[in-house]
Amino acid sequence: MILMIWPRVCWPETKPIPMLDLNQHIRRRRIGLTPMIDVVFLLLVFFMLAARFGGTDAIPVSLARGGTATYDGPPRLVTVLPDAVRVNGIDVTDPASALAPLMAALDDIVILRSADETTVQRLLDVMQQLRAAGQSNLVILE
Amino acid sequence: MRRGLILQPRSRRASREPVVPMINVVFLLLIFFLMTAQIVPPAPFELTLPAAEADEDQGAAALYVNANGDIAYEALRGEAALTQAVVASEDAPLRLFADATLNASALARVLAQLSALGATEVEIVTEGG
Repeated sequence: MILMIWPRVCWPETKPIPMLDLNQHIRRRRIGLTPMIDVVFLLLVFFMLAARFGGTDAIPVSLARGGTATYDGPPRLVTVLPDAVRVNGIDVTDPASALAPLMAALDDIVILRSADETTVQRLLDVMQQLRAAGQSNLVILE
Repeated sequence: MRRGLILQPRSRRASREPVVPMINVVFLLLIFFLMTAQIVPPAPFELTLPAAEADEDQGAAALYVNANGDIAYEALRGEAALTQAVVASEDAPLRLFADATLNASALARVLAQLSALGATEVEIVTEGG
């Protein structure tokens, strides 16, 4: 604050007019806003069209050959039918709890097979159920 | 009162920011992002991803299988697509975009083929919640 007043205090002979004159500065040619906004909107539309919204998720699947773990323990075969799920050939409503007594650890391999009419969506629904129970080492076989 | 008189022209002057340097910076940023961004190529065919909540996908290479069982990787189709996708997914999981209405046994067949070609990590991409 002092600095602003300071020149006037130190040099009272300095006229305040130059300071006021700053308002009447040389008029610059202004950049047209409209074309710039046009360009910005063009880019905006481009990126909106090119972008893919709603990030995707992914369920990792173990491959029959790629996995390091080997299968052991009792058979854990989940058959996915369009309207039923079977664990080792027996119809169950909750495959995860039916599998639980057959597993020594949660990352034991579970084998999934599907019937001919089963869709990928149906298979993934069952996989999601198993993963929710922590059984994440799922192998899909033909 | 007197102070206000002095301050007024200053504050009015400060409110007039130079526009041209700002535009320069904005364009610099724009060009930077244009150069560094990788635009995801569109899916080679119409695809409805299955809905399932899972982990975030981490893979890089994307293999597409549509409802008819057609396989695509970039511009390649069929067997060549599988081979190239396995090659491309050496250090990151291969993302498998399968149509929700695809037959699950067709998916299993693709997985078996990938496994036979030497793929180690595959993840099925879903539409997250």
